[in-house]
Amino acid sequence: MEKSIENIWKEGFLKSDALVAPKINNLYNQKSIHIIDKFKRMFKINLIAIVAFSFAFLIVSFLIGIPITGILFFVTLSVLVFINRKLLNDLEKIDFGISSYQYLKAFNQWMKKQVSINEKISKLLYPIIFISLILGFWFKDAEGMPLGERLVNEILVGFPDTFLIFGIPLIGIFIVLLIIALLVHFGGRIYKWDVNIVYGRVFKKLDELMADIESLRS
Amino acid sequence: MSSDFYKTSILPFAGIIIKLCRAYTNSQEDFEDYYQEVCLQIWRSKDNFREESQWSTWVYRISLNVCLTLLKKKKNNVQHFVSDAITSEETEDNFAFLDESLNVLYDAIRKLSEIDRAVIMLYLEEKSQKEIAEIIGTNPNNIGVRVKRIKIRLKKILDGEIN
Repeated sequence: MEKSIENIWKEGFLKSDALVAPKINNLYNQKSIHIIDKFKRMFKINLIAIVAFSFAFLIVSFLIGIPITGILFFVTLSVLVFINRKLLNDLEKIDFGISSYQYLKAFNQWMKKQVSINEKISKLLYPIIFISLILGFWFKDAEGMPLGERLVNEILVGFPDTFLIFGIPLIGIFIVLLIIALLVHFGGRIYKWDVNIVYGRVFKKLDELMADIESLRS
Repeated sequence: MSSDFYKTSILPFAGIIIKLCRAYTNSQEDFEDYYQEVCLQIWRSKDNFREESQWSTWVYRISLNVCLTLLKKKKNNVQHFVSDAITSEETEDNFAFLDESLNVLYDAIRKLSEIDRAVIMLYLEEKSQKEIAEIIGTNPNNIGVRVKRIKIRLKKILDGEIN
């Protein structure tokens, strides 16, 4: 007589092999590798975007007459990419064979090192970007004369008593120096804010995973 | 997840978790992933258990939700599914049970829609219509009719009348 599905079900599961529970050991490894892979991909894309932007801006800067800005941008961002490329090489060296907890810890250490280096770079990067913008526009051709000089001449017409140092108004130098000081001071924080926007979700997932594993270990 | 929690709160229900996970996977590797993810989600969600239902119902519900979520993710990755049944994929040889009839029945169950698979599994586990409805989140009155239809469809699949 043909067996009903209920009987097939009941009898099938009486055999010893049918309900062997797998060991719980590999999930966190897979998850941590997945999250870190995602971060690596984003990091690489970010570096490629910086290279593409610096090239594009170099060309545009020549077209709109601010080549100094374009060249300074290009050089500065190339140095930034070079340093981060080296950091990424260190990340690739983390051994996949270690336990997920050690793997995440190694990644966390790499992250801290990377953030610390980039934080320091940012204290220079943002002021350099600002200076390159000022220089670019200062030397931009304005009817046969640098735009900066033309501006100073116009200020002197309105305010003949303006105090100049090397042909630049003292108040202008003061404002530029103040902005540079602020950028040096807040550069690290701007970087962290920027990093949070791009990688915030990945970091959050990583924290959750670390917390999970830590509670598993406790 | 402590081993105590696993032993006392999950292992007694490992049977249904294994049965459910096997219905939504067709390789040992996927099955182990699903099983582990279900166990983790049960552990993570344990504080949300309100004792409005039985712990076993809670475990079934989480198991089912995890299986459906993972299946969706897998489908999104593959991106070429036409129906929601695993009709186009072969079950791996090392994933088979010793009991051949059970293998045939599982293959047939895998050809059902996601929800029909859940309903028939719970029915075969002798859950009441009320419990099935509670786990799936539907009206208990519809479950009886649905089970009858699924059994007819399963019979047709087993007899080779439909794929």
